[in-house]
Formats: sequence, structure tokens, C-alpha cells
Amino acid sequence: MKRFECLQAIAPSIKYELFVTTAGGATNEWNAVRPSDGNIQVKTLGLCSSIGLGLAIGLPERKVFVFDGDGALWMNLGSLATIGLHQPKNLIHICWDNKQYESSGGEPTVATAGNIDFAGIARSAGIKSSRAVNTVEELKDAVSYAMTNDGPHFIAANIEAGRAEVPPLKYDELENKYRFIRYVEDTEGKSILRIPQSASYLLK
Amino acid sequence: MGTIAGAQNILDGLKAAGIDLVASVPDINMLQLLNLLYQDKDIAHVPVGREEEGIGVCTGAHLAGKFPAMLMQNGGLLNSANGLTTTALQFGIPVVLLIYYAGDIGDNAFHMVGLVTEPVLQGLGIKYIVMRDPAKVRQDIAGAVTLANASKRPVALLLTRAVL
Repeated sequence: MKRFECLQAIAPSIKYELFVTTAGGATNEWNAVRPSDGNIQVKTLGLCSSIGLGLAIGLPERKVFVFDGDGALWMNLGSLATIGLHQPKNLIHICWDNKQYESSGGEPTVATAGNIDFAGIARSAGIKSSRAVNTVEELKDAVSYAMTNDGPHFIAANIEAGRAEVPPLKYDELENKYRFIRYVEDTEGKSILRIPQSASYLLK
Repeated sequence: MGTIAGAQNILDGLKAAGIDLVASVPDINMLQLLNLLYQDKDIAHVPVGREEEGIGVCTGAHLAGKFPAMLMQNGGLLNSANGLTTTALQFGIPVVLLIYYAGDIGDNAFHMVGLVTEPVLQGLGIKYIVMRDPAKVRQDIAGAVTLANASKRPVALLLTRAVL
């Protein structure tokens, strides 16, 4: 299965869930399939799972999706242990495993040789709801389960290599951050951005 | 290990300044502070395995509306340099870095880490205070939080044994 068809298959079930998407092809494709200020891009390879964990801990009543990749997850494999430790009920972590560093030119990753079992590692790290999927139907089932049951959830999605032809991201990381935070403020009814007041307004 | 009084002073300063989530990787000199964090009900404590993970957790926590701090040794500051650069600085994330200053004058371990700590912070463009006076702990923490908020950047507090 291709990542793009997977994204198209799960998009109709998404409403207000938040998405943290890895430095890689999943970001452009997801924003093309489901444009939303509830999507935040990541620039540090591997850090999406940790950012998603922090977001899930900070908003425990909100479902948080992380879109990871096999190269990115290899770089921060310890994050699975940390997620297993903290058990965020609302975290849904999907690793799009195309068995290569696609954004770096297709070099092999730890997954290329076929020895590693990401779902098994996640389960052994304490993420009980962990499974590998190989078809779009299996993926839809796994996402549907994750959205209606407490997690944390981990889904290793085995996909073909290849990126869909989609438009580039509309917003750089700063504009993306501001829009994302405003979206969280609006949908959660809370104030996050603190705008400093000029000193003259603080005079009594 | 630090002292209970020093640890309590820092914890009180963090709470007074509005910090409500602390990610951490331990150091022996912050044992008392970590013990307090494990017991505290007001501050969410998120132990992580490696410091760069903590920068990610703090970033996500900020996006969720928390005001986060990352507690680590200065060796961990080096471990987190890419996350600080391409996430915290590039996205403009206010986070307070509470860093035990190993290899400081008078410290008998990790002298190389101590040697590069301040130049690395300067190279990253992260403002910092070296905390040596227990009487100024709360003021220094409040100042770091104010600047982190205003600049939307990480600000570092280098904790020496004198304040722990």
C-alpha cells in the first residue's frame, strides 16, 4: 500500500484530532489530504514522537496523532520506552515504514534488512495496543480502534516507497506554530500565547 | 546530592514563576530536587531517557498551553543541541533550561563539559544566568521565565552547587 492512499483512507474519520507530522513526505501528503491548523510539522528528525508525547500529556482529553517514519523512529527509538513509561491514553503513534530515508535520497534504514519489528519493540516497551498493518483495511481498523479506545497506541504501517505529487506546505514552521496554537486556543477555550505588555501600560 | 532547602527554594521559584511541567534526566547533584518533583502535585513531572526527547516533550507541552522546563546536566545540554536548534529555536518555543553546571570551578568531574557549556549556549544564542547566590534563586527563575515568554526562546539557568 502507498502512504498517500492510507492517508486518504483515514482522513474522513478525522475531526478535531491534532497531528504531529515527521520531517519527511508524510507532512506534505497529510496537509494535502487534510489541510488544517491542527497539523504541526516537525523539523528535527526523530523528535515528532517526543513532541506528540508532550502534547498528549498537556491535553489529556484530546486525541493526538504522531506520524513517524522508520528512519525518524530509529533516531529516537528510546521515545517508545518513554511513551511506554508515561502511558498517555490519547496518543496514537503511526510509523509509516517505507524502509528507507526517502527524504534523504533513499538510503537504507534499520528497517531495510527486515530484521526489526517496530510493533514488537513498542509492545515490549509497554505500549500494549501495538500492531503492524499491511493493507489499507487493516490500517483503517487499527485507527478506528485507537480512536475509540484508551491507548497509548502504536501502529507500524508497512508501505511502499514513493511520494505522492502534492503541493508544498503552505506555511513555514513559525506561521504553522502560531496557527496551531491559535487553533488549540480556540478549540480548547484557553489562552496560550503570552504577549508582553509595554511598560507604560504596567504603570499604576 | 544538593540540600533539601536548596531544592525547595528552586521548586518554590518554579511554581511562583508559573512553571507547570518539568521534563528531566537525573544528576546526583539534583537528587533532592528530583525527589521533590516526584512528590509534587502541582508540577507535571515527565522523566525522559535522553535530553533531546525532553526538548520535544517541552515543545509539545508548550503547544498544549503548559509552561515547561527541562532539568538536566550540562552533558545533556550537548545531547539536546539539535532539538534546541531545529525545534525550540526554529519554532520559537519558550522553555526554561535548568542545567546542573558540572565541571564548574570547584567541581571535580566532567571538566571538559564544564569548559564548553557557556560557549555552546552562546553559540546557540541562548541567554543564561550562572546561579551562585541562593538568595537570588527565585528572582533568577522569574527573570528567565519572563524573558523566555517575551522572546519565545529557550533561556538557561546554570545551577551550581551553591544553590542546590
